Amino acid sequence: MPQASLPKALIKPFKAHTDVVGLEIGAGTGAGVPAVRLRKRNGKTELLAAGFLDLPGRLPTSAGACDVPVWTLPGPFRAPRAAMAINSPLHFLRHAAGGNGEEATDQATTFRRVSRQTAPDMPRLVAGLPEFQAAWAARLLPEGHRPTACSIQVAAAAAMSGFTASPAFVQAGGNAVALFVYAQVTSLAAFQDGGLVFYREHPMGMEHLRGAISSQMGIEASLTDAVLEDTLIDPTSVVEPVLRPLYRQIEISADYLLRRRKCQVENFFVSGVTAGAPYWSKLFARMMNQSLVFCSPLDGIERVGPGAHLPDDVAKRAPLLMTALGAARAVLEDQ
Amino acid sequence: MSASLHLNLLNDDERVCSSPVRMRVMLPIFAVLTVIGLCVWWSLLAVRLHNAVQVKHLQEARIADLKPSQEQVLSLRAREREARAVLEQLRFYRASRLCFSETLLRLPQHVPEAVQLTDVRIPLPPPLPPPPFSPPGLAVKTVPPGPTNLTEAVTLRVAGRAGSSKPSEAVRALLDAFRLPDFTNLVRAAEIPKGAIRQDTARGAAVRDTILFEITCDCGERRFK
Repeated sequence: MPQASLPKALIKPFKAHTDVVGLEIGAGTGAGVPAVRLRKRNGKTELLAAGFLDLPGRLPTSAGACDVPVWTLPGPFRAPRAAMAINSPLHFLRHAAGGNGEEATDQATTFRRVSRQTAPDMPRLVAGLPEFQAAWAARLLPEGHRPTACSIQVAAAAAMSGFTASPAFVQAGGNAVALFVYAQVTSLAAFQDGGLVFYREHPMGMEHLRGAISSQMGIEASLTDAVLEDTLIDPTSVVEPVLRPLYRQIEISADYLLRRRKCQVENFFVSGVTAGAPYWSKLFARMMNQSLVFCSPLDGIERVGPGAHLPDDVAKRAPLLMTALGAARAVLEDQ
Repeated sequence: MSASLHLNLLNDDERVCSSPVRMRVMLPIFAVLTVIGLCVWWSLLAVRLHNAVQVKHLQEARIADLKPSQEQVLSLRAREREARAVLEQLRFYRASRLCFSETLLRLPQHVPEAVQLTDVRIPLPPPLPPPPFSPPGLAVKTVPPGPTNLTEAVTLRVAGRAGSSKPSEAVRALLDAFRLPDFTNLVRAAEIPKGAIRQDTARGAAVRDTILFEITCDCGERRFK
């Protein structure tokens, strides 16, 4: 409606954001706050800095405890704008049950919501975050200092944004099923013609895999990643029961796409797997008769010369930067 | 190709600027500073206007106080100018004085025996013209104490009677005497005006050979410088 869009056009920023730092809050990696600074120039996305920042602040769990720290980012990460991805156990991302995605609040906690139409014939995708957490995050970066917040996203949506901008997704023609593996959950997203048509969360994450190995093989939790990377020890018998329900969900989702939406999915991607990739792909091939492609969040992003501030093992730790990078990329691509 | 999944939960009122110079802060500051500046400016103008009015009143009072003194001074200066003009005029007169005494002392030596002088006179200059008419309201011009021209013609008029057998020759001799060096330092020209020689009829027929005459001597000009 022209009358409704006019004020929005007037308040739209004159200059598009071309230099953004993405931050993931509440990642729980133990290494710090994942941060990625991206710049878009001449149609190409460049990686200027990446790392894990030692910044104070844990996500508040209730509205009463909201002491807001002031974040000052290191020099290489001081982009003009920041996109923050919130990885909160209280956030939600789902397709709306109603027509417009604005469901009535059914909880004591006030949620800040935003929705978007991702596919023409699908309910709107709704993201929600407790108001106190959103307000807390909005005040982390003070006015008058670089960067200031230009976007607050839920972690799952940010990761999907990063994936949809990757060359692997483009090459797949926009028809794909993608897994985004976090510490506690794994997101399952199906895309048809580039639009998100299906989104589910499965309560299995990397921590569950580590926990199973630790408990069943009798080793410390800190050594589980080494076991998953070691070729001398075969943890397949431990990994398989953890991954099988997840892959079963993928199987059901692919069947849904084929039967209901007439979409034969042949591209399966996974992001966020920090260790044990061979076991993920081996079991997937056995169950689904398809190959599982591991996507690095850094695919398709050019690294600038010696001026870039990148850790030595950036490629290895790239899965942990998936959400932060996706948040920044969502801002850069959404102009 | 793909629909954007950028679900931004940041409210518009939470968007802040990273620039140290923020219009949200600077605009009120500039506005307040402008208002303060205008107030100060107007205050200064008011104070200066008040001071100017006070100075004006003070000057008017002083002018009013000085008015009688000024009028007195102007009056005195006018009187002084008049007095100075009179003194100047007197100085002119003093400087233009012609000395007749020595010349007249030599006159008896040149008067023929048949001639009797009855009148030796230096005629007064013609009277001064009346002062010009002044319209009412304007100050009447001061009447000058003497002639205002730079020169004044001076004449010596000698009248007498001549008897004997040839009275006209006696008169002619007297006229020629005025052209002698004894008189030429004073008398430039001497002449008998037309009709100035006539028969003396006042004393009867016995003295019919007596004539009355009159000689006018041009004594040059008095120069008032």
